[in-house]
Amino acid sequence: MLLLLAALPGLFWDGGADTAAALRDAGVSHILAPAAKSESWKGVAGITAGTADLEKAVKLLSPTVNYRTNQASASREPWLVHNGWKLLRQPQGRFYYDVPGEAAALAAAEAFAYGANAMVKTDAAGLKPFARMVDFLRGVNGDDLPPVADFGFIDDGSATSGEVMNLLVRDNLLFRLIRAPDRALKLTVRLGSKEYPMEDAKNPKAIAQAVRTNLTDEKRSLRIYGSAVVVARVTGSAGHVRVQLVNYAGAARKVNGIRVRVLGNYPKHQLAADDNPGEQLLDYTVESGATEFTLPELKTYAVVDLSR
Amino acid sequence: MPYATLKPVDRRLFLHVVAASPLLASPAGDPVYKVVTKYAPAAKPGMPGPYPGQVVRVRSEKSIDSQADKVDRDIVRQMLSSGMRALTGDARNEDAWARFISPKDVVGIKVNCSGAPRICSAPEVVAGIAESLVAIGVPAKQIYVYERFDNQLQSVGYPKYLPQGVTVAAAESNRGSILGYDPRTYVETSFFGEEDTRSNLVRLVSETLTKIVNVPNLKEHQASGVTGCLKNIAYGNFSNVDRSHRFEQTNTRTFIGTLASTEPVRSRVVLHIMDGLRGVWHAGPFSNSARFRFYPKQLMFGTDPVAMDHKLIEIIEEKRKAEGAISLFDRSREHLGDTSDPNRNHYIREPGHVEYASTKGLGVFDNARILLKVIDL
Repeated sequence: MLLLLAALPGLFWDGGADTAAALRDAGVSHILAPAAKSESWKGVAGITAGTADLEKAVKLLSPTVNYRTNQASASREPWLVHNGWKLLRQPQGRFYYDVPGEAAALAAAEAFAYGANAMVKTDAAGLKPFARMVDFLRGVNGDDLPPVADFGFIDDGSATSGEVMNLLVRDNLLFRLIRAPDRALKLTVRLGSKEYPMEDAKNPKAIAQAVRTNLTDEKRSLRIYGSAVVVARVTGSAGHVRVQLVNYAGAARKVNGIRVRVLGNYPKHQLAADDNPGEQLLDYTVESGATEFTLPELKTYAVVDLSR
Repeated sequence: MPYATLKPVDRRLFLHVVAASPLLASPAGDPVYKVVTKYAPAAKPGMPGPYPGQVVRVRSEKSIDSQADKVDRDIVRQMLSSGMRALTGDARNEDAWARFISPKDVVGIKVNCSGAPRICSAPEVVAGIAESLVAIGVPAKQIYVYERFDNQLQSVGYPKYLPQGVTVAAAESNRGSILGYDPRTYVETSFFGEEDTRSNLVRLVSETLTKIVNVPNLKEHQASGVTGCLKNIAYGNFSNVDRSHRFEQTNTRTFIGTLASTEPVRSRVVLHIMDGLRGVWHAGPFSNSARFRFYPKQLMFGTDPVAMDHKLIEIIEEKRKAEGAISLFDRSREHLGDTSDPNRNHYIREPGHVEYASTKGLGVFDNARILLKVIDL
């Protein structure tokens, strides 16, 4: 239970006690306040307050999708602003988002998917979306499963390496950080190696494509069809896989259906999707060593637990 | 008659057959396609059908008033009857239609609305086809007029022309939604490293329809050279196809025939009636400029999409030549550019997709083996 609570993002709120009604109305019962204001929250009915210092946390980007309609792009691939790679790089880090409105829910979902220790600072319009999402996440069983990875990435900590990780996460190429090659993984990616020269890393997309080519789509533990704005976080161990799906356009538009392919045979499934309690997976198949299903709608976040 | 949107069907069907193979020993650089379908070919596939290499062209000066852009519905009915009887050799209209479709069939009329509302499968033509189906005993409720995109379909206003009970349906009520497509029938390929490598068949086609009447337009196409029978049943029946032409050099040459020959499409498309009342000779498939529209005032009939599209190429080439525009077969990069100039194009056109489709068994490309019957009303 403690692990689960720690994984839930907290609300950083720098408003005074006179804003308590707005918090209560949104369904917020716990906040993190700057030290200068935390005292004023003591004794406020229905609201408990802890203390937090944003200066001691790493600021994350506001997750979103940039459709780049003003740019000619042959692939027409929207640009996803996500923080997955940063959260993977610093699993013990303390982070915060500063996001307005509906994006607060998306930020909370992203942080939860990666098990990040994160705060969400938002405005009045973001209170209800944030509270709804956290309420939903509270109902999702905790996840202490290890990440599913198809390859290992040796991160030298550089900006270049970060950009490559950014693209790998964005393209749903599943990896975990390693210090040395691991035979349990299908590939090892080290920038500067013969397969992945530094020269190529000037274009991180080229590295991501090379990894994909070397891995082959057939051997990828996860594929997503039907949307270019969904990033998955996959964890699991023998007999159980959890697929968390984050729609980075979720603050503005839902995804009308995605097809997901997971390597392995998992005849049982359980779905939980935010803002859509009755949703069911469609066209569920288990064959040829893979499990496929269609999620008919994805607002911001969904979690699919697959098991044998 | 309300518009309907294809609903996903939550059925636990299991894929029995996974046919996965590169298409053919294609020239280096051609994409490799993996075709996944559980549908076996019919004993007598619809394409090229009973009339390989045969094309009937019916022309009537009165079919459309080119000044008012108004179609004469009665003349169109006469053209449909004349064309069907000429194709089959039957004296009666009903006998001609009954060769392809029985009252038990669930029939899709695949329209083309990519240039709508200015150019599309004319509602007068589509209505005439639906009336003919009803006349041979197909219940109206077993007839579907369908297209991929709901917004394009709605812009035409088919329902007011159609017999009561006919359904007008789109695969994508929300642009980009995959729910109207069959997740277990698809062609998979990677053209440029795109993440979504699947093009799935419209679910209505795989799960509901038993026969399809294809009603393309007579148009030039910036990427594929022309868009006629083949392209309308290929790109008009599968998702995620525009990825084939994101660059100047496209993959339309091989992709169109591959999709069109995928089962059950090849077996279920039994008849093609090309609406050439209006035409587009440049900057297609859209029709944003009146300058590039023309009025061929004809309908073409056949079961062989390759032979029909070969004739389509000839018509567009002739028109372009008359307009002083470069050939569809021009491949020089110096002609790439803004399509407001008829000698410029965004892509290198691939009219060779028609000949390629013949190698997939979809029809006859050799002009010496194509019989064209011309009727003037």
